[in-house]
Amino acid sequence: MLDRSLAIIRKETRELLRDPIYLGMAFVIPVVLMLLFGYGLSMDVKHLPIAFVDHERSPYSRDYIDSFVNSDYFDFIGLLDDPEQADHWMRSGRARVIIDIPPDFGRKLTSNKPTTIGVTVDGSFPTRAGVIIAYVTAINAQYNERLLSNFASQLGRSGQLRAPVQVNTSYWYNPTLESINMIVPGMMVLILMLFPAILGALVVVREKESGTIFNLYASPVYRWEIILGKAVPYITVAFLDYLIIFAMSIFLFQVRFTGSFWVLSSAALLYSICTIGIGLLFSIIMRTQLSAMLITFLATVTPAFNYSGFLSPVSSMDQLGQFIAHLIPATYFMEVVRGVYLKGLGLGFFWPNLLALTIYTLVVYSLAWSLLIKRIR
Amino acid sequence: MWRRLGALIRKEFQQLLHDWPILFILMWAFSGAIYVAGHAVRIEVNNYPTVILDMSRSVQSRELVSLIRAPYFKIVDYASNDDEVVRFLDSGKASLAVVIPPDFERSVVTGSGQFQIISDGTISQTSIMATSYIAHIAGVYNLQLMTQRLGVTPQEMANIPQVDARIRVEYNPNVDNVWFISLLEMLNMITMVSMLLTAAAMVREKVYGTLEQLLVSPLRPMELFIAKIIPTVVIILLMSLVSLFVIVQGIFHTPIRGSLLLFYSVMAIYVFSVSSLGLLVAVFARNLAQAMMTLFLILMPMLFLSGAFTPPESMAPWMQYASLVSPMRYFMDFGYQVLFKGNGIAYVWHDILGIFALGSAMFALSVWGFRRQLG
Repeated sequence: MLDRSLAIIRKETRELLRDPIYLGMAFVIPVVLMLLFGYGLSMDVKHLPIAFVDHERSPYSRDYIDSFVNSDYFDFIGLLDDPEQADHWMRSGRARVIIDIPPDFGRKLTSNKPTTIGVTVDGSFPTRAGVIIAYVTAINAQYNERLLSNFASQLGRSGQLRAPVQVNTSYWYNPTLESINMIVPGMMVLILMLFPAILGALVVVREKESGTIFNLYASPVYRWEIILGKAVPYITVAFLDYLIIFAMSIFLFQVRFTGSFWVLSSAALLYSICTIGIGLLFSIIMRTQLSAMLITFLATVTPAFNYSGFLSPVSSMDQLGQFIAHLIPATYFMEVVRGVYLKGLGLGFFWPNLLALTIYTLVVYSLAWSLLIKRIR
Repeated sequence: MWRRLGALIRKEFQQLLHDWPILFILMWAFSGAIYVAGHAVRIEVNNYPTVILDMSRSVQSRELVSLIRAPYFKIVDYASNDDEVVRFLDSGKASLAVVIPPDFERSVVTGSGQFQIISDGTISQTSIMATSYIAHIAGVYNLQLMTQRLGVTPQEMANIPQVDARIRVEYNPNVDNVWFISLLEMLNMITMVSMLLTAAAMVREKVYGTLEQLLVSPLRPMELFIAKIIPTVVIILLMSLVSLFVIVQGIFHTPIRGSLLLFYSVMAIYVFSVSSLGLLVAVFARNLAQAMMTLFLILMPMLFLSGAFTPPESMAPWMQYASLVSPMRYFMDFGYQVLFKGNGIAYVWHDILGIFALGSAMFALSVWGFRRQLG
């Protein structure tokens, strides 16, 4: 009974091996993506170009400016005189933040009065703007603390101005806060979503375009035998991709790995079966390779990138967001991957995720199975 | 020449318009997909899931907790012991835990109060932002306590040397990420579709053998190429109008400040140049699967180096150089400057130049490749 499936598997494998460029790509693209994102994706926003419009040019204003220039976050690019030039620098993107210091800055501070400075931030890239705001606020707060303690010691009341409450911060799971620990395992989830799905998406529809699908329709094979035969070679490719990505994450990127390889691998196998199935499903529904490919791309990449918890925790999303998140397999796998890599959690923690992935896979393959028949008749 | 070209373009249009699944998918790409991506980021910076373990249960601790609130934080639950906190963090239901010790009330009075925050460091950037917000909250709380204790009146507060940083965010006052992402997604779709659609149209001719027919006709490669590209340009222009006005501006209220004429004329050049790149790949590929894989290999670095993931100034030097040969880098800069900042040609001429230069090079290269492969 398995003979017929085996025959299809053999045929698909031979077809794959006969197109070394295509097969090569199936391994090269994940590696290239890992290298690009692993080495290139920097979440640390640094070297932000900062400019100042200093209307006072006093030791006080210079002292304030120095507190920014001396930080790692900003690159000082110039001291401007007129606001029009500042506007020009902001528009052209030469400066991402411009601080305007009023002419009475030092005078007010020395006479123990509060003063106001104007900070203009380029909001065209909101993540960067958010970080700039956080940095500016922090540096300004430090400066104020210094002013305040000077003021208090002038008054001889320094003891009373000590902050009564301190915060102790500890970071779990990624104590060094290296973004590579977040990016590389996250990329594993995204690549194993996108790539197997794309591979699967071409399998059936290619035969439709070339007309060889009728050989299968006419031959005495059951539908599930066709699906099994088509899926197995590609699941193998996807799983090999997983092994390559895993090896890269450990040996090349040296990501913190605290869990069990076997738990991760079994989840990855299940996930690969599932994502290949999603591709197969679209391959069965669509009639041209291009449409199968495009719809797979749209249905996998955007949701997985935005909703799987890759960049922000799922629990921070609103109801619709959480609903979408639970409609895609990447979310379940993301929890397992991060849990195994960073949190060192065991199988006991993951069985709901593995169960969800199993149900998901069964649904996808039953859909594929039931839709394949329509084309035969 | 124009009649031949006209006939060929008509044929390409007919082929495209008969392929309704593709049209439907393209519609989705330029509307629904952008909406889905935009909806996700809407809430990203806010509602950081937080669990509280308050062992003090005093007026002071409640005051502190009351400062941890929306939009930055969402208190998902109050834990009653350490184990529960660990469970919340392990399962990812909370990404931040605030632990207030039993002696908090007493120690605040003596000026040595402490509380602990445990942050899930997995998503390092977000985690740093969240803890810095907490630090800010602690500062506000301290200020409240100090002014209470010192009995400082608002009048006296005016006589403390402090620098008040009034931050104004230009172009996006509320730092709304959706403005950025909706435009980004549109620019991504424009790039992706122009490459894939044109390449597919070319490979199809090769696979079906109809390319031979075109080759024996009096058409020149140049004309054939232009005829393949024009329908892509037109369809993308139309579809992107829909996404710009219905999704980006209509649903997400992203302000469009610049000249649409400028944007669309440069976009036509851009689509033309990226399509040429698609044709180049199609000329060398043996089948569609190969072509698609090769295009992915080109597209991914292009999207990645466009400056949307990492702002250009924060890129490593090698990335900055590599991005110079990607037309998308210029197009992204151009798109944001024109649509979002409302800049005119004086600010974006170098982007236009970059798109034009790379576009001509790619078009020339694909015509050369075509002659070499099939001429």
